[in-house]
Amino acid sequence: MSHRKARARMRLERQPGEVIDRAAPLTFRWNGRQYPAYRGDTIISALAAAGERVFSRSFKYHRPRGLLTGDYLDPGCIVQVGDEPNVRGAHRLVEDGMQVRAQNCWPSLGVDVKAANQLVAAFLPAGFYYKTFIKPQRLWPAYEKVLRRFSAGGVLSSGEGAGCYDKRYAHPDVLVAGGGPAGMAAALAAARAGASVLLAEQDHQLGGHLRWGTSAERAVLSRLAGEIAAEPAIEVLIDSVAIGRYDGNMVAVVQRGLPHVSERLVKARAGVLISAPGLIERPYVFAGNDLPGVMLSTAVRRLIAMYAVKPGERAVVLTANLTGDAAVKDLSRAGVDVVHVADARKGEDVVRAHGRGAVRAVELAGGERIYCDLFVTATGWTAPMSLLAMGGRQGVYCRRAARFLPDPERLPNEVLPAGGLAGDGSLDEMLAHASAVGAEAARRALGIGPSRPPPARPVDAHPELFRARTHGFVDLGEDVLSKDLGTAVHEGYDSAELAKRYTTATMGPTQGKLEAVNVAAILAEATGRSIADIGTTTWRPPYAPVTLGALAGRISEPVQHSPMHSWHERHGARPLVAGTWIRPDHYGDPAAEARRVRQSVGIIDVTPLGKLDLRGPDAPKLLNLLYVNKWSKLDIGRVRYGVMCAEDGVVMDDGVTGRLGEHFYLMSTTSSGAQAVEEWAENWLQTSYPDWAVHLTPVTTAYASINVAGPRSRDLLLRVVEGVDLAPEAFPYMHVRNGRVAGVDDCVMWRIGFTGELSFELHVPASYGLHVWQALLEAGEDLGVGPFGVEAQRILRLEKGHLIVGQDTDGLTKGFSAGLDWAIKLDKDDFAGKPELAWQAADGDYLRLVGLQPVDTSVVPPEACQIVDGSAIVGRVTSSRMSPTLGRPVCLAQLAGRLAVPGARVEVLLPDGRLVAARVIEGLAHVDPDGERLRG
Amino acid sequence: MSIRMGSGCVADLIARGPVRPVEPTIVAGWEVTGTAAGAPAGAELILTDLTPVAKVLVRASPDGAMAGALGIPFGRAARDSSGAMVTGSGPGEWLVLGLVGEGKALCRRLEDMAAQAEGEELVSILDLTHGRALMRLTGHSAPSALAKVCGIDLADKRTPDGAAFRSSVAKLVTDVVRDDQASASGQVPSYLLHCERSYGQYLFDAILDAGAEFGIDIGGFRAPGI
Repeated sequence: MSHRKARARMRLERQPGEVIDRAAPLTFRWNGRQYPAYRGDTIISALAAAGERVFSRSFKYHRPRGLLTGDYLDPGCIVQVGDEPNVRGAHRLVEDGMQVRAQNCWPSLGVDVKAANQLVAAFLPAGFYYKTFIKPQRLWPAYEKVLRRFSAGGVLSSGEGAGCYDKRYAHPDVLVAGGGPAGMAAALAAARAGASVLLAEQDHQLGGHLRWGTSAERAVLSRLAGEIAAEPAIEVLIDSVAIGRYDGNMVAVVQRGLPHVSERLVKARAGVLISAPGLIERPYVFAGNDLPGVMLSTAVRRLIAMYAVKPGERAVVLTANLTGDAAVKDLSRAGVDVVHVADARKGEDVVRAHGRGAVRAVELAGGERIYCDLFVTATGWTAPMSLLAMGGRQGVYCRRAARFLPDPERLPNEVLPAGGLAGDGSLDEMLAHASAVGAEAARRALGIGPSRPPPARPVDAHPELFRARTHGFVDLGEDVLSKDLGTAVHEGYDSAELAKRYTTATMGPTQGKLEAVNVAAILAEATGRSIADIGTTTWRPPYAPVTLGALAGRISEPVQHSPMHSWHERHGARPLVAGTWIRPDHYGDPAAEARRVRQSVGIIDVTPLGKLDLRGPDAPKLLNLLYVNKWSKLDIGRVRYGVMCAEDGVVMDDGVTGRLGEHFYLMSTTSSGAQAVEEWAENWLQTSYPDWAVHLTPVTTAYASINVAGPRSRDLLLRVVEGVDLAPEAFPYMHVRNGRVAGVDDCVMWRIGFTGELSFELHVPASYGLHVWQALLEAGEDLGVGPFGVEAQRILRLEKGHLIVGQDTDGLTKGFSAGLDWAIKLDKDDFAGKPELAWQAADGDYLRLVGLQPVDTSVVPPEACQIVDGSAIVGRVTSSRMSPTLGRPVCLAQLAGRLAVPGARVEVLLPDGRLVAARVIEGLAHVDPDGERLRG
Repeated sequence: MSIRMGSGCVADLIARGPVRPVEPTIVAGWEVTGTAAGAPAGAELILTDLTPVAKVLVRASPDGAMAGALGIPFGRAARDSSGAMVTGSGPGEWLVLGLVGEGKALCRRLEDMAAQAEGEELVSILDLTHGRALMRLTGHSAPSALAKVCGIDLADKRTPDGAAFRSSVAKLVTDVVRDDQASASGQVPSYLLHCERSYGQYLFDAILDAGAEFGIDIGGFRAPGI
């Protein structure tokens, strides 16, 4: 018989509880070779059915590893699937055409040169890295490069990962973590008591251990599953694991296997969490316990019942409980020759597994050697208390049950354990208890009836079996040996937390679920203390590994668009991301756009300018509070520039505010400051002046805002504006009018001039913004009108010396440093920031905003360049551009007060180290310092 | 005291909302996705841009005479005798939704109401038709789709028909109103989503994305819309 034919014989005849679909054959590739599978197979069950026994190489010693637990936790079954590393192969279902490779080996799984580590294992004890690579410290970079080559794990794709991730919120009254029989019964009871229930199960089916149980147990599973399917108040998430429990009983569940997304993070705010994860079978520590062919009893039962796979041909079983006994029956039924059963309850033991690359024989306590290719252990359980312990509670060790149990007295009210976590007993007893838990959870979540906590469940006696008299691997994920723990204790690391960090035991992919109790027991043995004294290390989320993609979820980044955005896109605007706004930076040539504004007329979309609607008789009080200048005597129809300082005197925003009616003002803010100013103003109103009769409403995007700038701007507006006299004497600078533009009523027009040119800022009901924009371009075609973007506007305002808050000021720039001496009215009764500004004025020694011109007209110092005086830094360039109007560089700068005088020469330090001379100009304006163009 | 700023009804002009229409058509002076291009009435999950609907914001004392006249508390929404939907969108803040093109008339009616309400409180009435985006998500899976981008409990017992709240939807401050719609098979869950206009396209796209797995369709605008 050929080897290949022998492999194929590991697939059994149809099993009554099998989850594979024999009508749906698939193929996939393992290390390049094609393998058959059925839908429902995991990667490892399909490979095991084909006779494969080695699936990975171990973390440190690169020893061949096979199937141990046959589930999500299996440390020997971690593989690479396509671009996805570290996939749990005994959990991930096979897909047609799937490409699976072994990881952590080179050049192949069969021949791994790094297995040479085993030859020097004696020189690689616990703490090897810390001791060996600590000195000399300067060589650490070199050490790091070498060590990195030995790091375990798969290979990440250098490109973007496939698939996408998302999230959802859920608000179940009761969340049941674990879909075994206890979880199912608890969910049903909770739902029948009126609760909405979310039931999350890590595996691909509900049922837990009933799936590989007797026909009677499978009948119970079938009944429970049918009842759950018929219960509309229960939402079932399979292939989903609760990874953590957080404040307010927020439980994070990672859901996989969805058709639309790779993974989904479910943020569930649960009224009550029922933790029903079942018990995890614990491996046994003995020499050779990592050899392929050493399996847990639950693993062989799964293989046989669910996947119809024969785990081996000739088996020895070490059993200490009923599951081990059942495994013996299952193996026999599957045709495995069970050549020996060692019953730990009778004091029998197995001390060693022999073999090279796979089990060939086991050695009993009496020295007898029995040849076999499968050694099955059933030596005890671990209660995974993660979701309970994340509430800050640790378990207590129960010697009778040989496992840690939750302390019911210390559980928070919103968490209840069920199933094996709560105790032992028959299936009927467990279901009855779980039903009581479910009903109690519903009562607590819904606040109905008196609380009736379910009684504590008894625990079955179980031998304390952790390690044979030989040493073996205690953490198979991290390649930590039991004697490594002894070494740690010998060196003084004698607590669970210290030994964990020194040896890395419990720090691997299983995070203590398989090894925590064994570690505690071995440390207890090494220190002479009890397991209860040693305790376990701290359970922390996540319960199971989670991808960064799942945590990131769908990226939601709100963006804002103006009503003219589509026009900008169609006309080649280069987008500028300004906070959440997408704005046109320029349309190809910002310098030409600036020249057009100086020479004829341009229009710019300034919709992002913040706009606040102020109504009420006390609006002037608010303006006087927020702004440093005076507002009590602003006439209707007038506009005034204002500056806001925070309470520390630092400039926070500026803009103009117009008075449109007796008790009606429209305030503008910077684009980036709109929300902050609104919140700041509301904060004043709600906390300090709730009695003021003023309403403040953000209306930023109620208007499309268009600035029409340039010497021909009035000519252009005369063609589209109705009902407003645009003559200079009728509509002078810093005034506001309301009228019709291009047929659109209720447009607000401000005569202001950020660019330094004659200009009109139009605020148009937003839905007609595009209409007005296009009408302006059409009407002014013969005037040479064209759009200009943010960059041209920045050039123009810099030529004029108009500051930008946040550009020419920073988080330390107080009012007088921003050249706002003329605006700050310290004789006002009060305003935000007044005490600090009064102090600044009295002090006198502060940076000042100045206009600066490099002497060399070919050099534009980059913004943020330092201004130096010898070795002292005396200022910085805050804005700089080549001026298209003047043909020379122009700057604004913050400069020490003693140098901030017209005509002063300073030196600017360029990034390349050169110094360039620059001259302080009179005032801030490089162009039209007298404002004739502006007021034209 | 009442103050009003109207949007004006502009003849022969085309108003455009923030959401790009599919196969645009003109309804009541607005460029919208027409019913022919939109999803069929029986579609499972439909998102419809309702930006043309008149939207008027009322600010007044939370416990004053105007609040009494409006009769809708914070967190609830209901239609008044004229068919306008009054939503208690915040403490002392109401959003009133009316027929397309009826913003000015709605403002006048609210001003009259403010004038008749006893008390000296400050009442502000603003037509925000152009300043806000409004959309409607309708379908049995609407709560599930919304739960992908909104952390509020949307269960009937917490957020029944007529509930209103302001929360983060796809990281965006959004007013949400549960306003179930009648269908041949009974009431269908429906939500009005209301945000600042400039975010309208973003929110529309975010809801489409969230609803993709539920087979979401874009609905055509039908006047009067609300």
